[in-house]
Amino acid sequence: MDFHLSEEHRLIQETVRTFASTEILPIAAELDQQARFPKEIIQRASELGLLGMMVPPEYGGAGLDTISYLIAIEEIARACAGTAVILSVNNSLVCDPILRYGTEAQKRRYLPDLAQGRKLGCYCLTEPEAGSDAASIQTVAREEGDEWVLTGTKIFVTNGVEAEICIVYARSEPEPGARGISAFIVEKDRPGITVGKVERKLGIKASSTAEIHLEECRIPKENLLGRRGEGFRVALSTLDGGRLGIAAQAVGIARACLEESIAYARERRQFGQPIASFQAIRWWIADMATRIEAARLLMYRAASLRDRGRPYTKEASIAKLFASETAMWAAHKAVQIHGGYGYIQDYPAERHFRDAKITEIYEGTSEIQRLVIARHVLGVRS
Amino acid sequence: MEIVVCLKQIVDPEIPASEFRLDPVTKRQIRGSHALVISTYDENALEVALQLKEKQGGKVTAVTIGEEQATEALRKALAMGADSAVLISDPPLLEADDLGKARVLARAIRKLTTPDLILCGCESADWVSRIVGPFLAEELGLPCVTFGTRIEPRDGKIVVRRIVEDGYHLVEAALPAVVTIASDETNTPRLPKVRDIMAAVKKPITLLRMADLGIEPGSLKEMEGRIVLQDVAIPVREARCEFIEGDTPEEQAERLVLRLKELKVI
Repeated sequence: MDFHLSEEHRLIQETVRTFASTEILPIAAELDQQARFPKEIIQRASELGLLGMMVPPEYGGAGLDTISYLIAIEEIARACAGTAVILSVNNSLVCDPILRYGTEAQKRRYLPDLAQGRKLGCYCLTEPEAGSDAASIQTVAREEGDEWVLTGTKIFVTNGVEAEICIVYARSEPEPGARGISAFIVEKDRPGITVGKVERKLGIKASSTAEIHLEECRIPKENLLGRRGEGFRVALSTLDGGRLGIAAQAVGIARACLEESIAYARERRQFGQPIASFQAIRWWIADMATRIEAARLLMYRAASLRDRGRPYTKEASIAKLFASETAMWAAHKAVQIHGGYGYIQDYPAERHFRDAKITEIYEGTSEIQRLVIARHVLGVRS
Repeated sequence: MEIVVCLKQIVDPEIPASEFRLDPVTKRQIRGSHALVISTYDENALEVALQLKEKQGGKVTAVTIGEEQATEALRKALAMGADSAVLISDPPLLEADDLGKARVLARAIRKLTTPDLILCGCESADWVSRIVGPFLAEELGLPCVTFGTRIEPRDGKIVVRRIVEDGYHLVEAALPAVVTIASDETNTPRLPKVRDIMAAVKKPITLLRMADLGIEPGSLKEMEGRIVLQDVAIPVREARCEFIEGDTPEEQAERLVLRLKELKVI
């Protein structure tokens, strides 16, 4: 067992850390306050190859392993969690299912644009009546000649406003529940697909979250992704990888909380001494460091299984659960360490606090992660 | 154009001052677990070399003297766009002084290639001695331009823009030449693309030992300048707070300027 990052991993870390600290961090507060999509950052990220990190070079990607990908997402999230999720969705939830389930023609058609940042992707699963219970989606795909005709409403779609390529899950078969679902690739410029309400969120404001409406949206037959009726499998296996991206985002947020807390605790003096000399503060900082280290190792472990082609559903859920709860806990402590200054926008702790919460909710709530873990540990199917 | 860039791997100069430690016996910085990076101006030098290659064609070779882990600095140079990389590594070399290192570099460069241009950072971000470049030029019998920021090839020569107080000089030099590089807005080091990092990991790095350069174990001392480092110390930093009085912001600003001038800060 080797706990050291390889030379390649360290170089990627150094590169993305420099990128994040020099180009993203200086505008992170502004992106948050203005809820602005960082177009220029996404452009730079695509030049560096961060939009399709695990896509093989023959499809225009960087061909990195999962650990490299998580290192990069952690570094971006350390600076701006909203920017991190824009990248995580494009990499994990859009490029990945096309790579694993797409036909050769689909890979050649979509991956180069997605991996090189010419087009952004989004993942449309959740519906107003189908959140954690994703198998109960009601969006319908009707077969008509050489086309599929999609109708329904998707909500909480990250990158929904800017994305041009959407992975849409819809009910195509008469079977109820998970078995009747198929996955489709829908280009946003097709008639019948529109962006609806854009949500105003608590955090990760640099990324857009929107409703996507499909009204008799016609797509060619060849836009079916994977096999008919196997969409739910595509959705869930995609989420395994997505959860690792969110774990990395959460570790990045938690690290931001720790680093800000250390800097503040060293500088802030009360009762004639830096507050870092008080035991209460030290214990919180020690616990933050411990939990972050554990969260990072959990996600690396899941990533290492993934890179070896081994099952990693349970490990991804464990990593996502622990990392997201670590982020929220660390953000809570970071605000407390900053006291009144933690509650105002002059210090970043307040932003991290708002950004952290979503990691416990999206791509499977903490409760869903516990359900997945319990099923694996208990050896039961439902 | 055949360009050699001399790099040095150092402890990240951005670490907090409170974490800077000296070994009292070797009188060197303790590396500990701090991140190691390419010395700041050496990266600018590499950037200048890569821009020249992009304009003129040619080849860029990165060379360093260091421990085995200095391969990481060379990997970064390869990822940024260098064509080949050379690590000169042997335990006694780590103790060599600046003249010794310049002489070792000169031997390595002669052995490897016949470059048109050799670039070094104008100073290392750890010891700031500023002399390895000029020593190297002397050793190779080449012209040397220091503190260059931009290089324009012109009629088989180069025109170097070098920074001086309150402005710049344009200096022409015949090739081959040694130029030490300072930073300006045109030579900010590029970030490597992740794809190029992957490719760099697969590129070979040439390893040279002292024996490969014809240096006998005992003869290194003779190559050095016999500089004896007597002592090193970390300066004690004191912070004091002074309130500038004044009835209006203008008056406060005026007094602040006077005070700063008095303290020779401005």
